[in-house]
Parts: sequence; structure tokens; C-alpha cells
Amino acid sequence: MTADKRVSLFVLAVVTVTVALSHPLQLPAQTAAANPSPGGKNASTAPWSVQVEKVDAGEVNLEPAFQLAIYESLLDELSKTKQFKQVLRDGDRSAVDVSDLLILKTTVQKYTPGSETRRAVTTVSGATKLTVRSQLCTRDGRVVLEHTVSGNVRFLGSNLRATHNLARNVAKTIRQSSLSVPSLTAQAQGAR
Amino acid sequence: MNLTVVQWEHSPDARLLITHRVLVCLILLIGCSVAAVGQTSQQTNLTPPFSARVTHLLGFEGVKNNASGTLSMQGSALQFQTGDKPAVQLQIASVQDVSLGEQSKQVGGLPMTLGKAAAPYGGGRVVSLFAHKKYDTLSLEYVDSSGGVHGAIFQLSKGQGEVLRNELVARGAHVSNSEDQPRQQTTVEVSK
Repeated sequence: MTADKRVSLFVLAVVTVTVALSHPLQLPAQTAAANPSPGGKNASTAPWSVQVEKVDAGEVNLEPAFQLAIYESLLDELSKTKQFKQVLRDGDRSAVDVSDLLILKTTVQKYTPGSETRRAVTTVSGATKLTVRSQLCTRDGRVVLEHTVSGNVRFLGSNLRATHNLARNVAKTIRQSSLSVPSLTAQAQGAR
Repeated sequence: MNLTVVQWEHSPDARLLITHRVLVCLILLIGCSVAAVGQTSQQTNLTPPFSARVTHLLGFEGVKNNASGTLSMQGSALQFQTGDKPAVQLQIASVQDVSLGEQSKQVGGLPMTLGKAAAPYGGGRVVSLFAHKKYDTLSLEYVDSSGGVHGAIFQLSKGQGEVLRNELVARGAHVSNSEDQPRQQTTVEVSK
């Protein structure tokens, strides 16, 4: 009888712990499902495609590796958002046939080179910081969206990690912005 | 039969003639073989196989980020192979730009980082001062079959980057003019 009680208590404890652990994990998922992205932008509502241009270093002395890393990370992060029908590379010939195309232009405004060793030794210094101006333009050059976005690496990770963080922030900014529907944009252009 | 033998033994001119012919044949044979060896070595000098152990940081299509493998050149193709997986390759002629860089990274990865964090009295910071290593980075900008621009970054042992870059250029990779200038080190860690 005592053994049965112990087993029951053990089972009860296991169930309680399982429920307690699973409940908080379900909450974010439910919240995410209930609240879609602020702009409500997915392939059905904003059927834009985007072509990512090569990163312009501007006046900043930025290593080519950083430029390429930003470019590749942007392609990667924008694909992950699933906000665009297609994410095309710079120079892609198939972009000619795409009707609703936005062009993402990225210009580096500020770059603070950092040091992984300094970060590891001091914790407070040695951060790698990047600031870019990000523009989404139509084919005719009209700027649909413009933001200044930063990305940095302060603690863990290599210097190139800053490019990944920057691209993630750019994608997040675009996701949170409201992009007009292509047909409305075309009408507005026609009215001019 | 005997008559012939007598004839051979008693005709020194004929013996001399045969010796002469044999010598000519030998000289011809040696000449041909030397020429053949020279030609073979000339061919190998044109396209000798080249390979280096590298870490793929990002961008090479079909390869995971931070994958270690062998970057090799076979004729006009540049290929990257990880373990037993099939090699991913591209035509060297499609490389639009090759650039070099340097970076200093903490060694040991996550286990080392955790160990340093766990070390008492800031011992981990002291370890960080010495636990870093300099690497070369090689950035490739290439175009795919549809004209899309790709950027790939590889990490190599120090000193290998220059060799690999020269090898790529010798095999037909394009290099932008800025690369002719001496390498500029932009990271604080390297420049200071």
C-alpha cells in the first residue's frame, strides 16, 4: 500500500513537472500564432520580390570579407522572413521577368573594427560595430523604405558575427515596416 | 654458315658500321625520352594540382557554414570537399574578385570559452590573452550560371592566403584593381 502511494506520488510529480515545463513553452508559440507580424506581410498580402544589391562600402574602409558577409547574410535572412516571393541576387538575369520587384540597396555608413581578444579579456571593449543605410527601391528608383540599421558583436563570436547580426536587424526592420501592395503602388504611379 | 662467320670476323668495317648504327639508335632513344620527360614536366607546370586545408566561413553554395575541408584546384575548376561528401565546384573563370584579409580568433571554441568563464579570479581572461591565433581570410566573388553574384569566405592558415590567391589569379580568376595595392588591415587587433 505504501509502495502504491509512493508510485502514485512519483507519477503525480512527474506529470506536474512535465506540465509546468511544457506550459511556458507553449505560450510564445500561441502568442506568435495569435499575433502575426506587425505589417501582416506574407507572400499573399505583399507579393513583392526583392533583389539584393552588392553592399556599397561608401567612404568607409571596410574589408571585402565584411561586404560579402553582409551581402550573403542579407540574402539568407530575407529568405528566412518568407516575406518576399523571391529573393534574388545582384546580377541575376531572371530579375528582368519579375513584375513586382524591389531592390535592396545597402550603404555602409559607419564601421568600428573590433577585436575578439579584447572582448574576451576586457568584456567591455573591443566590440565590432556596423551601421548601414538600407533602402528598398522600386525599379524606377522610388524609395519605398529607408532605414538606418546597426549590427554589432559585443561579447561572444568572431568579428564577422557583426554582419550576421546586422543582416538580421535589417530583415527585422523590413518585416516590421508596412510595404504597400504592388497594385496600389502602380496605381499611384499612374496617377502622377 | 661458317662462311658468314668468317666473313664477319674478317670485316672490321662491317662491325664498325653496326656499332655506329647502335650508337645512333641509342642517342635517338635518349633524345626522345629526354624530350618526353621535358614535355611532361612542362604540362604539369601549367596545371599542377593545388590543395589546401581551409574552413569555409560562409557563402560557397552547397556547403555548410564553418565546414572544414579541402579547397583544391583541378584544371580550371575550384572545388571544396568536406570529408566523404561529394565535392562542390565552380569554374575559376567565373571568379570576379579575390581579396585577402587577416583576422585573429580565439582558439578552442565553445569548450574553451566555457572553461575560461569558469576559471576563478579572472584566470580565463589571462588565458584569452594568449589563446588566440591569426588566420588569413580569402574572399571570393563569383557569378553563377544565371549571373547572380555570390560571395564566399574561407579561413586559411596564416601565409596560405597569398599562395592561394596567386594560384587562382594564375588560373584565370579576375582581381579588381584595388587588390593590387598592398593589403590594408582594418581590424584594430591587427593594425595596432
